[in-house]
Amino acid sequence: AGAAPHVDLGELRSLACDALLQESFYQNKQRPFLYRDQDHTPGPFLTQLVSTLAASLSCRNPLLAASSLDLNPEVNYYWHHGEEVVVHGHRKGRVDPVRFQIDDNPHLQIRVPKQLPEVVPLESDLGEVPVIDHKPSKLPLFKRQYENKVFIGSKVADPCCYGHTQFHLLPDRLKRERFIRERLEDQIEVVYRSNGIASLFAWTAAQAMYQGFWSEADVTRPFVSQAVVTDGKYFAFFCYQLNTLALTAETIKNNPRKNICWGTDSKPLYDVVEDGNVKGFNDEVLIQLVRFLLNRPKEL
Amino acid sequence: VFAGVRQAQWLTKTKLVEGLPPAVQGIVENPALGLQELEGRVKHAVSHARLWDTAEVAPRREQYCPVLFENLIHICRLMSGKYPSLSKRMLARNCRIAATWERESILLQVRGLSGVLMNSMTPIPPVASKEEILATKEHVLETFYPIAPTIDLQEVNVYKELNDTGQCFKDGYPYSHPHTLFFLESASVRTNRFRPEQLRAKMLMFAFGNALAKAKALHGSDPKVLEQPIVVQSVGTDGQLFQFMVFQLNTTDLVSSDGVKNLVWIDSDQNLYEKAQCVPEVKKGVVTKPAGISGFQPDTFKKFLALYLHGTV
Repeated sequence: AGAAPHVDLGELRSLACDALLQESFYQNKQRPFLYRDQDHTPGPFLTQLVSTLAASLSCRNPLLAASSLDLNPEVNYYWHHGEEVVVHGHRKGRVDPVRFQIDDNPHLQIRVPKQLPEVVPLESDLGEVPVIDHKPSKLPLFKRQYENKVFIGSKVADPCCYGHTQFHLLPDRLKRERFIRERLEDQIEVVYRSNGIASLFAWTAAQAMYQGFWSEADVTRPFVSQAVVTDGKYFAFFCYQLNTLALTAETIKNNPRKNICWGTDSKPLYDVVEDGNVKGFNDEVLIQLVRFLLNRPKEL
Repeated sequence: VFAGVRQAQWLTKTKLVEGLPPAVQGIVENPALGLQELEGRVKHAVSHARLWDTAEVAPRREQYCPVLFENLIHICRLMSGKYPSLSKRMLARNCRIAATWERESILLQVRGLSGVLMNSMTPIPPVASKEEILATKEHVLETFYPIAPTIDLQEVNVYKELNDTGQCFKDGYPYSHPHTLFFLESASVRTNRFRPEQLRAKMLMFAFGNALAKAKALHGSDPKVLEQPIVVQSVGTDGQLFQFMVFQLNTTDLVSSDGVKNLVWIDSDQNLYEKAQCVPEVKKGVVTKPAGISGFQPDTFKKFLALYLHGTV
């Protein structure tokens, strides 16, 4: 969101390339562990990239200057949605709410003391929501629930109680090459999108809960957060606006509000790293990242 | 390492000066840096690391020590908005270092993971004047007769003398000057952590190793007194107590114990805060100790930041 930033793109480009070259070329590292390729280069690169860019842009965005940077935080959210009939046991036949729990581990996240501005008004309706009838435990995300908790990455006492941007690193088993090898190219974007939607819903909803809202006291202002999902080379950008927490069977009946997520397709930041040079650097991706980091309330 | 820092001094032919060098003290005391405003942010950084960072009641040291370090570095890094040349720094984690030298016919080698290393595109200028360097000729290194100076060091057969700085980075790396080493003693069990004296000795050995490796890369392996001394800093912490060190390599002529010596300034045992109370202590229905951070010492962070800014500001 926002006009073209008045920043030195060349300077930021060289910082990004330096971070990439350090992690993939200059630093002598041992071979990556089996199926842990992401910890070897893309993970450290993402950490370096975000920390240096955020520091460099903090003079332009006072919100960044007051931010808190979390490495490998935990984000949890628990909610009820829909109903089911108990199948076994002494409570057989009774109607229970279906319980969902998301336990997320972003690679990096930025929390700020002031909220991001809304993208569209609270009551906007931009489309229909698909209806799924089977139980959540059929989906890989909700297979097991261990502990029901709500956590934004830090406790309620922390003044940085609003989320700015999360950065997610896709695990090895969801590598692009694997999808292409199994001729499932159309599923590549699905991975990015589902990660963006699920993580951002959990984060914004947990932030809303920290402010005292819940399914029976719905939010009075929208909660906006951003996310970048990447595998180290391809980046996809998402922006989420939480308009409602009222998702339980009773409260959803007369609730016209919908939550909205905007997202891009994944695009590469660079082509290849060869002999200490980054080839095919894509400025567009960098500009989008910079725009994300510069996002702030209008009064700042 | 027996007798901690004193032994390390003999092994690295170094003279010790208590406290931080004047160049760094100057940064600490410089009002233009606005260090007062940062106090609130540092308190939040400590509270976040020690109290808020977990859905559990209290984070363990393995978690809060690195988180506190990252939070403090984040605050330091944000100064690059004010001092753009600070962006010419790069953090490298899990660097392997190797340096070899000879002391009075004993071959010594420093090898290992040196924790987190911050590199800079520009070197730190020397902190001791030429006169102070020449004055070290008079200094006599403390020996431990009858205890051999290599006590408690591991004796290994070195088949390949690694003289090439252990090549942590390939040639052409733009951030080629080691600036500061950070050591995080984050083991929860106290016996697995280095005690302050040992930590300081380890900091000295690794700062020396990095400086020596850089000297050999710049000026060759011949032992000599350096025209341009090399400065490498070290910071060590267990999540609460901080050790600050500035090391200046004046000579690579290490075989004899005479002549110009290297210099190290150490500011030890600086507490950042006294206590972190996660849950309020309640006795007979009255809160005796409220939850929160008590005994916060802003000067410790000022020194941390001064070492970070050193060489650029």
